[in-house]
Amino acid sequence: MFQNRAEAIALVLPAAIFAGAVFLVPVVILLSEGFRTGDSWTLQAYVDFFSQSLNQAVFLRTLKLAAMVTAVAAVIGYAAAFAIVNLPPKGKGRITGLVVLPLMISPVARTYAWIVILGRTGIVNKALVSVGLSDEPIRFLFTETAVFIGLLQLFLPLMIISLISALENMPRDAVPAARVLGANWLQVFTKVILPLTKEGLVIGGTLVFTGSMTAYITPAILGGSKVLMLETLLYQRVTMANDFVSASVIALILIVMAFAANLLLKRLATARNKR
Amino acid sequence: MSDSRFLSLEKLTLSYGKNVAVPEMDLDIGKGELVALLGPSGCGKTTTMRAIAGLMEPSSGAIVLDGVNITRVPANKRPVGLVFQSYALFPHLNVYENVAFGLKLMGVRGAELDTRVNDGLKTVGLSNFASRKPAELSGGQQQRVSLARSMVMEPKVLLLDEPLSNLDARLRLEMRTELQRVQKESGVTMIFVTHDQVEALAMADRIIVMLDGKIEQIGTPEEIYNNPVSDFVADFVGFENVFERVDDKIKTANGDIAINGTIDPATKGLAWRPSMVTLGEGPFEGTVRGTSFAGGTREYLLDTPLGQIKAECAASLPAHDFGAVLNFDLPVAKAAQLARTGNL
Ligand SMILES: Nc1ncnc2c1ncn2[C@@H]1O[C@H](COP(=O)(O)OP(=O)(O)OP(=O)(O)O)[C@@H](O)[C@H]1O
Ligand SMILES: [Mg+2]
Repeated sequence: MFQNRAEAIALVLPAAIFAGAVFLVPVVILLSEGFRTGDSWTLQAYVDFFSQSLNQAVFLRTLKLAAMVTAVAAVIGYAAAFAIVNLPPKGKGRITGLVVLPLMISPVARTYAWIVILGRTGIVNKALVSVGLSDEPIRFLFTETAVFIGLLQLFLPLMIISLISALENMPRDAVPAARVLGANWLQVFTKVILPLTKEGLVIGGTLVFTGSMTAYITPAILGGSKVLMLETLLYQRVTMANDFVSASVIALILIVMAFAANLLLKRLATARNKR
Repeated sequence: MSDSRFLSLEKLTLSYGKNVAVPEMDLDIGKGELVALLGPSGCGKTTTMRAIAGLMEPSSGAIVLDGVNITRVPANKRPVGLVFQSYALFPHLNVYENVAFGLKLMGVRGAELDTRVNDGLKTVGLSNFASRKPAELSGGQQQRVSLARSMVMEPKVLLLDEPLSNLDARLRLEMRTELQRVQKESGVTMIFVTHDQVEALAMADRIIVMLDGKIEQIGTPEEIYNNPVSDFVADFVGFENVFERVDDKIKTANGDIAINGTIDPATKGLAWRPSMVTLGEGPFEGTVRGTSFAGGTREYLLDTPLGQIKAECAASLPAHDFGAVLNFDLPVAKAAQLARTGNL
């Protein structure tokens, strides 16, 4: 396309310089912070970080919630995507539109909407109390459940969209062919649909997992300081304690976990089915 | 259950939402028959196949196979095989695994599995392709894998939806004989869909001609070819000159015109193949508007008072020029007498 490499390089140079100056350099500086004590390079900051029980709990909770959200999103996502793909074309367009609609609404607004639903005077509690199922309002907000629900609602559309496109790329008659060859619905799923849509599952899973791990607004509003996650902890360390070393450690943990999740999901996807 | 009613459709109605694709179809198919389902695009051939395979729930009526009512039996529990027009091979599995797919689900394992898969591959001549992925095969090879995958299940009925339509002419001929051979050797009851009348005539023991979800005619290739019951079937099998009958006249664009010979009172229409038209003598005159050479014969398109007529004569006879005026006749004795008209 280009006459020579120099031309191509000249074209990307401005973008590269910009990205380097405002993104790469600060990130490298921040991350290197975590490996320094005085003048020497050590892993001391990481040892210190993980030796505190609060940090351990936050780390495990983040991992657990992100994994759970991913797993539940995959289950609900497959069911929803399969149903949507099999709709007549007109309905399909409309429902797909509805699925992506939440992605166009501000996450702050979306998350505050949950407070209207789950708060002490929210819809759910009002209903429970007036029906007599509960004597007093139940605490939903600032629990792991609230964060879980919020994250699931936030990221489910990404899973559904990934799976819809994966399912649509499947050969049209693969499912009926498997049925006629004697597969029950579970076997159709494990032997045909899953292997043929695993790329979509890996993409959707990676988006949902890293998204859940790095989400800030949802755990901040629905979990607050009672249900800290790595991202909210990071913000707290910086704003309240000016602790850039911990911030650096958390940042790297998040990056590493995002890559690890992607690798793991790919690994799972390419593992040959046991026969 | 008798052998001639091995598979029966009883007032089977198939709909997509409010649209009825196939209304109240009655059909009996005998054990070991090779039946062709012939009809124009959209007449309900695929729909009927899918219903027999259990991929679509009938809105009413019943399907009985080998004495058992299978109308409500789910697809995975029916002893029915279906070869899809798209082949529908599993792209993530190699040829061997594709053919083994159904057998494994049946619980066949070990040496027996191996034997049956290899036998299946041998039948379709693909023993050397066992470890290839579907994407590495030609269309014809994929089609044969798909056939083997269904055959090894030893279904009571094997349905094939336009099995040859994606193949080139030569391979199509080859696969025709192949399919016939496999069917005769295994004795499986086979229904194949086609919209190519030549294919249906060449392969089938019996032909079902469908139109708009209804069966127009069922018969042996000879019956269909020689005695079409309706103008639609006649046109479909190559009677290119089709007329409605009014008393002892035929109805044309220029009014009713008398023809020679007596017509059976029950006859609603008359049809002639180009080869049945007498050319060179007779009461009618036509102007040559087109000619085409077809090897042994030469075809003429004539402008006549009856409308356009297609006639044919031996290519060895001297050719008539464009614009020449020829005499011709439509002899009633040769015509196919149609019991129904009004579908053209
Ligand atoms: N999924 C569907 N939803 C609604 N209508 C359908 C559907 N599939 C088929 N039809 C309609 O049912 C009728 C029969 O279709 P079918 O696919 O059985 O035809 P066919 O004889 O197999 O045609 P072709 O030779 O083109 O394959 C057609 O009018 C078609 O428009
Ligand atoms: Mg069809």
